Amino acid sequence: MKKLFILLSTLGLAASINAEEMEVVGNVASKCVVIPDTAGIYGNPTADVLSTDPSDGGVDPVVRFDVIQASMYKAKISYPIEFSESPTLNDIVNWTGSVGTSQVSDTSMSGYDAAKIEFDNVTEFSLTVAGSTWFKTESQADYGYGKAFPGGVYRAVVSAECIAI
Amino acid sequence: MPVLLAYCSYSYSSEEVYGTTTNAANIGLNWVMSNILPQATGLTVNNVIYRYTTEKDPEADMLVHVQNENAQGNGYIFRSTDDWSGLPGNTINKTIPVGGIGIDFWGDGSIEVEGFGTVLDPEVYYTYQYVPCDNPQSNPECPGYIDPLTLIQEPEIDTSSEDYIQEELDRKANTKAQRDEEEKKERDKFAKATEEKVRESLEKMLGLSIGAGLQEAQDTLLHNALVATNYLPRTYFEQIKGGEYKDVEMLKDSTLPDNANARRVNFAQDIMHQKIVQSQYD
Repeated sequence: MKKLFILLSTLGLAASINAEEMEVVGNVASKCVVIPDTAGIYGNPTADVLSTDPSDGGVDPVVRFDVIQASMYKAKISYPIEFSESPTLNDIVNWTGSVGTSQVSDTSMSGYDAAKIEFDNVTEFSLTVAGSTWFKTESQADYGYGKAFPGGVYRAVVSAECIAI
Repeated sequence: MPVLLAYCSYSYSSEEVYGTTTNAANIGLNWVMSNILPQATGLTVNNVIYRYTTEKDPEADMLVHVQNENAQGNGYIFRSTDDWSGLPGNTINKTIPVGGIGIDFWGDGSIEVEGFGTVLDPEVYYTYQYVPCDNPQSNPECPGYIDPLTLIQEPEIDTSSEDYIQEELDRKANTKAQRDEEEKKERDKFAKATEEKVRESLEKMLGLSIGAGLQEAQDTLLHNALVATNYLPRTYFEQIKGGEYKDVEMLKDSTLPDNANARRVNFAQDIMHQKIVQSQYD
């Protein structure tokens, strides 16, 4: 051991003087994951209405937020206010909607609905408990003033984001 | 998810099988585990997955326990408690790893509510794993399975050994003696039965039979049976009309003449009779 130390010292003295840059790499895995759970479907209970309400023949889209660390993120979910795909519409579409918890993995998450913040078509939830939370988004589109939607395919987008706070 | 959870796959091989039970709480808040888990040797439960919805007053206290009794002792082998006190009702969805607890420990399961509130739409699933042929005798399709019937084999006998020959001789001798004994018993039995029969017949003839009354009753029964089957001619039972039956042919009184042809014989007999009587005095 001693001999090895001497040898290394000697080599150090013999080396020429150099400048080196070392790279430091780190990976940060997200502690919040957003996963689509259930695809939404619009029902067409009357000619002028498209609705995700199950009683109207629709299906509410559900998105799941998995949070590993509590009180570090908020969920920001927006219900649609326009169609991403539709036949040509000559009249205005009135959008309404709401977002709420549909399932929780911890009873404390039941308080998310009472504490949610809503503005425009956006709803924000503070994710104060670690675990999984399922959020359900209801939306309804009313065409014109009791006007029938033209035939065709209609698509809309629900936006869900996990934002660090 | 329920569709995926309900899917269970089984195949008999030495590879491990993973599966998920059907909803244990589909018929109520109590369930019997032997009806839920496959009864496979070496099966272990890895996770308990449950979901239910609570309806309650947000201010009310409510505890919900999802649990399984410990089949090998007291208490519970699994118990998860959700405290809904002071919270609004919601749907809870939990997956709880239990670390591979053996099937023998899983007692009956239940969802118990403490406080005020109602549990709706409960779903409880168990994920499990086992090696189907961990015990090769558990299924005939398992490699290494031995048919128990083949294990029952007669021991091989050396027919040339002295012991075997001696045993056979003894057995035959014993058999002959036994047969003779049985024949003797049979003969004695037959002789005794014959003697008894003769004795009964004599008693019957002499009217001493104890069972004479019984015999009479049996005869009556036999008679009735014959009558019922119309075996006897009906004329046996015809009644003969009463009254006086007078002779139709009557001989009128008159003088009967001697038979002249018989006179000679009568005289000859008389003479012979006299001679015989006289001969005793001569």
